[in-house]
Amino acid sequence: MFMRKFLNATVLAGLLLSGAPAMAQTVGPAGETATPSADIALSDADLAALKDKGYKAALLWHTSSDFVNAVSAGAKDEFARAGVEVVVQTDAGFDAARQRSDIETALAAKPNVILALPLDPVTSAEAFRQAVSDGAKLVFLSNLPADYKHGTDYAAIVTDDLFQMGKQAADALAKSIGGKGKVGWIFHDATYYVTNQRDNAFKTTIEKDYPDIKIVAEQGITDPARAEELASAMLLQNPDLDGIYVTWAEPADGVLAALRASGNTKTKIVTLDLAEPVGLDMVKDGAVVALVADKAYELGRAMAATGLKSLLGQQTPPFIVAPALTVTKDNVADGWKQSLNRDAPQSILDALK
Amino acid sequence: MNAQTSEPVLVLKDIRKTFDAVTAIENFSLEIHPGEIVALVGDNGAGKSTLIKIISGVYAPSSGSITIEGETVSMASASMARAHGIEVVYQDLALADQQTVYMNMFLGREPLNRFGLLDRRLMISETEKLVKELDVRIPSAHATIRDLSGGQRQGVAIARATRWAKKLILLDEPTAALGVAETAKVETIVQSLKSRNIGVLIISHSLDQVFKLSDRICVLRRGKQIGIRKTAETDKNEIVSMITGVN
Amino acid sequence: MSQSKQTAKQTASLLPQPTVPLLKRIHLQQYVVYLGFLAIFLFFAIVLKDSGFLTVRNLSNIVLQTAPATIMAIGLVFVLSAGEIDLSIGSIVAVSALAAAVTLNAYGLVAGVVVGLGAGLLIGFINGVLVAYVRLPSFLVTLATMGLFAGVARSLTDLRSIPVTDAAFTGFFGSGSLLGIPSLVWWTVAAVIIGHIVYRETRFGAHVLATGDNGRAASVSGISVPRIRLAVLMTSGGLAALAGLLYAGRLQAAKYTLGESDLMTVIAAVIVGGTLLNGGKGSIVGALVGSLMMGMLNNGLILMGLSVSDQMIVRGLIILAAVAVSLREKVR
Repeated sequence: MFMRKFLNATVLAGLLLSGAPAMAQTVGPAGETATPSADIALSDADLAALKDKGYKAALLWHTSSDFVNAVSAGAKDEFARAGVEVVVQTDAGFDAARQRSDIETALAAKPNVILALPLDPVTSAEAFRQAVSDGAKLVFLSNLPADYKHGTDYAAIVTDDLFQMGKQAADALAKSIGGKGKVGWIFHDATYYVTNQRDNAFKTTIEKDYPDIKIVAEQGITDPARAEELASAMLLQNPDLDGIYVTWAEPADGVLAALRASGNTKTKIVTLDLAEPVGLDMVKDGAVVALVADKAYELGRAMAATGLKSLLGQQTPPFIVAPALTVTKDNVADGWKQSLNRDAPQSILDALK
Repeated sequence: MNAQTSEPVLVLKDIRKTFDAVTAIENFSLEIHPGEIVALVGDNGAGKSTLIKIISGVYAPSSGSITIEGETVSMASASMARAHGIEVVYQDLALADQQTVYMNMFLGREPLNRFGLLDRRLMISETEKLVKELDVRIPSAHATIRDLSGGQRQGVAIARATRWAKKLILLDEPTAALGVAETAKVETIVQSLKSRNIGVLIISHSLDQVFKLSDRICVLRRGKQIGIRKTAETDKNEIVSMITGVN
Repeated sequence: MSQSKQTAKQTASLLPQPTVPLLKRIHLQQYVVYLGFLAIFLFFAIVLKDSGFLTVRNLSNIVLQTAPATIMAIGLVFVLSAGEIDLSIGSIVAVSALAAAVTLNAYGLVAGVVVGLGAGLLIGFINGVLVAYVRLPSFLVTLATMGLFAGVARSLTDLRSIPVTDAAFTGFFGSGSLLGIPSLVWWTVAAVIIGHIVYRETRFGAHVLATGDNGRAASVSGISVPRIRLAVLMTSGGLAALAGLLYAGRLQAAKYTLGESDLMTVIAAVIVGGTLLNGGKGSIVGALVGSLMMGMLNNGLILMGLSVSDQMIVRGLIILAAVAVSLREKVR
């Protein structure tokens, strides 16, 4: 149950990268260096070459969520610029068998470009085989089917810059407490690539870049519903914490509740991903000082552009990374727009006035 | 009536049934002959259903003997009673509503053809034959039970018991839920069972019905057997006073 | 004269009711699934004629994609007909597929198949004993085992996917073919024919229907109702396990999520196919057509280019309509 919620909130694991230690930067499955997504842009000549060719695209996602919607929006807008019609959209509901069915069904519509998140390397290897042999250009999000070759089998993998997300969370928290003090680290206590990368990047950054900040309390969490009691215990043992890092937005709600319950107005919070409750606390000058989000809309745009470039026969970089985005009270409206391609919740906009 | 001259199909002798300290039936004795209809009457709680359950094998008597065509039997289940040729038409009829008439006729005893599959043809033809003989007017053997009227359902349940009963049919309140016309029809069917040379034990609240159908009447009150009367030699007043204990 | 009229009326009430509408007599609901299937097919064939719906590959995809669900649906027809339900089939699919994959990789083909099917039968046996002999409601028992074995599937391989590389296995259960016909089609056809015969033409089938229709009547007719309940839940467990092997063969991998989302589709297919939710009546062929209808609906709505949310809404409405028509007649 929890897993499902969590997966909905963020991108699915790039399992192929798992086991890798916390790195100074995000690298591809075969150690490829990351190409910033901003480098991938369709030129006017590209657009002209794509227009009126009757090209079609399919978006084969793993689930439905804010994140997926924003990626889809970015992709659709980019496809629209090139006059490419999105003929198929699917949601496999994290079901490997359904993903295979979705691919087969989509192929009946003969798409030229397919953007997809392969559920995991093992089950998707066979599932995407037909798409490869049909000649569709494949751009994968975050994950790669086992033994697929760049260039011949797929055009590119596009992913979040997970390391940057954790690092920027560390930078934001450090800034808000003046670069020194004691902080707590609430991490996702499960073997899960996305959260592990982000959590460890936070810790590494604090330890390496901020010698005056000490992580004095560490607490693993698996169930967001238990966040409040865990945070309460942490605050009881360390009443003088200057800040707390929370692995993602949902358990941060519980941490906020624990702060309120103990009358604590001093401790600052940073967390990852955009959500209304933590966003509202932030704009009301509460404990939350920053939310670090991925640029989902940009991910989608870059995926579409990469697929189209591949369709034009151009070389595409194997591994493309979209930047992380630090959202504070100052840029909250714009941040929501950039990350999820929609307006911030009304309650947050109202509180800003 | 030559019933009394033949060997009885069922002999109950000194039947007694207790549940813990409570005595439900004491010293009950009854003979039922082929072609004879015996009515069992008594107020609610007199022990009629306990007795039916003993005869149909659901309860074992605490003491006393059950003899079927001269053979003393002990029955531990309804299946064993059926094996001895005793069929029960329950008050709720025990019909499967969504199934056809012919499947109900053979419920639990479906004949198989040489491929080991259901022999529908045999079931249908036997059903049609029996339904015709008993004059149970149903649309066809293929009709679904839920599409039948209450009287038709009762007819099917009796026909089923007739199909399988070799010795005795127990009828538990066969017309309690029926209208006037349907009651008359079911009574005609019950009467026609006499010619099949099997015994019938009928439980009924309707004394009119009891007097119309039965050859003898057996009265129970509070688990005690009050007496057995030949229907032709008694009247309603006597039976009512036996049932109620009020003179 | 009024006397004779009265008598005529009384007799009539024992005869077939002339007032029963014709439609009810021919049991419209039995044919709803076929009509619905045809209507949806024609609709997609016209609307999507340029979108690849009518291609042989797409149509055969629908049949192949629905094979595991169809086989699960056959098991569920038995369970529902006996008046029970099995919510654990999705979890059985995952456990069986994973158990088969792990065993296959370690001990070979035969062991893999035996362990995979055995896992399903065992879970069915556990469900069956709890329902038939401990006398717990099947809804609650299988709701619990659904969660329980979903957890087992997750922990079995610690959420990892297990590749299935044995060519004999993947050919036999997944991508192979015989006489030019894909093995998944053979499995479907075999399961439907055997299922139909067992359901319609054997004592077991008749006893399943009687049990679901009127358990007391079945019981006093000498049918061992507990044994029937145990048997239907084991049937459903075994068939769900077979579905798991088909998934593993088709994906050449097993994963804990296999089958997870199939339960509702399978229930819808079975109900639309004319099987009563509370027992006593059902159809194996109807379940097949219901399952194909669900697959076709998924396929067509995707090819129409609808957004995912719109696909869900339209699919929900169509299932609702189909179920409404197929059930309305029965609730009198």
